[in-house]
Amino acid sequence: MKIRGVSIEDTFAEAFTMRVARVVITARSKRWVEAAAHKLTGFATSVIGCKVEAGVERDLAAKETPDGRPGTSVLLMTMGKDDLGKRLIERIGQTVLTCPTTACYDGLPGAPDRVGVGSALRFFGDGFQISKVVAGIRYWRIPVMEGEFLVQEKFGMLKGVGGGNFLILARSADAALAAAEAASDAMAAQPGTILPFPGGVVRSGSKVGSRRIKSMIASTNDAYCPTLRAITKSALPPEVNSVLEIVVNGVDAPSISASLKAGINAACREGVVSISAGNYGGKLGPHHFHLRQIMQGVGG
Amino acid sequence: MTEMVATLKTPLRQRVACAEILSGSWTHLSARELAGRPVYLERDGQVALGEIFELKGVPGGRIRFVGNLELADGFAAGLSEGEVVVEGNLGSEAGIALAGGALDVQGNTGPRTGAAPLGFKRGMTGGELIVRGSAGTEAGAGMRRGLIVIVGKAGNQTGLRMIAGNVVVFGSAGQDCGLWSKRGTVVALGEITPPPTYSYACTYHPPHLKLLLTRLKVTYDLPVRTRHLTGFYRRYSGDMAELGKGEILEWSAK
Repeated sequence: MKIRGVSIEDTFAEAFTMRVARVVITARSKRWVEAAAHKLTGFATSVIGCKVEAGVERDLAAKETPDGRPGTSVLLMTMGKDDLGKRLIERIGQTVLTCPTTACYDGLPGAPDRVGVGSALRFFGDGFQISKVVAGIRYWRIPVMEGEFLVQEKFGMLKGVGGGNFLILARSADAALAAAEAASDAMAAQPGTILPFPGGVVRSGSKVGSRRIKSMIASTNDAYCPTLRAITKSALPPEVNSVLEIVVNGVDAPSISASLKAGINAACREGVVSISAGNYGGKLGPHHFHLRQIMQGVGG
Repeated sequence: MTEMVATLKTPLRQRVACAEILSGSWTHLSARELAGRPVYLERDGQVALGEIFELKGVPGGRIRFVGNLELADGFAAGLSEGEVVVEGNLGSEAGIALAGGALDVQGNTGPRTGAAPLGFKRGMTGGELIVRGSAGTEAGAGMRRGLIVIVGKAGNQTGLRMIAGNVVVFGSAGQDCGLWSKRGTVVALGEITPPPTYSYACTYHPPHLKLLLTRLKVTYDLPVRTRHLTGFYRRYSGDMAELGKGEILEWSAK
């Protein structure tokens, strides 16, 4: 299969079931929404080293938010249920509670699984916190030096999908970067998904484990490192000199598929040789995104 | 929308105690079953609801009462489910000890609206009570949870001995609102003079009020103005003669 001359390899991306929470942050202005979201999603690229994967899902207009102020929707994802609660409490507590004018709401009101967040953060109020129930939902008003921080008591959790991916194999580093930027831009608009890595792009794709150190969970994906072509079992065609990976997480598999489709389509451009994907032979992750199936019907 | 309609057959000429009409579970009852519930006339004693009201419609969780019920006391006492609309005025103790559901009174209510029954400390424990006219004295007395909204004037000692919950007053509030309150919030969008046992804290934007007032506007079509959503509020803490964890939030242009 070829799209605009770029070969789509007959392979699949292997992804995992994760727990996802959607956090809605509002503030007096977009400036402070972005400031809070920036910190909330910081150092949250991979559960391997960060314990949580997070990213901005989309900006919210004032009419879309519970309190009629500008906002943003952030997805946070972990491998386990218990872990997600801990990460929400520590991250919202350190980054949203501290940020001027913000309030924080649950973005998954229909999710049956609930985790206490405001119910834990309220203790920062040292006994001066006040609970209020509006339309059957409990909120906590935590007094802070600026005024009050409002946070919802419980947040919903869903089973989501993490680790959807594809690899851009290009003739040059410039071509790989341009294709990755185009893909990232196209995928950023996909609802229900986040791109947890910097700018949505990963240059250091990993393989499971290490050839030398047994305790390492992951190490460099040497088969896709152009500089190692001569000394390792390379997976790269001869004309490829740079590879970048796009990783996408989402609330469900259809969201990931739609995002991958948009991203791969945008990445098929001048200088790109082929599009591949990372997998572990289908033995680790239950979600398989077959590139050619996803791209079926996209013009060549 | 499926609803039941209860229309007053003839104007009331004596006070009537209505506390048992909607107590307990009622939303599944047919018009005939509901018509059998007792009311107590001041002079003539117990009669069935069906003798003074004509009930029509099918059960659907909502009932509308039509007629002047100014002489009806204890209406919707202990209401725990469903939506009750009253197209007129109510007498005293409307919605006392409300526990759930919603009572929407389109006229005025008498004293002790949504209050604790006499001799009891705890009043409303849930639900929403909307008075589109004015309410008499001691509305919300002893309130533990829930919401009372008074669109017109609120009588003296509204929110007396509140344990928690919310009272929102659009019009002017009488004297001693929130007196002896432990916790609880009185939101005054009109004039109010906090009791001397309340202390001014600051002028600010309470973030939860946007949620609360927006809900009142959307759900009940109440006259919430942009100035109420964007304005500042003067916060008074009290009652200092009690826990001091209650508050009066007075809307202020600045």
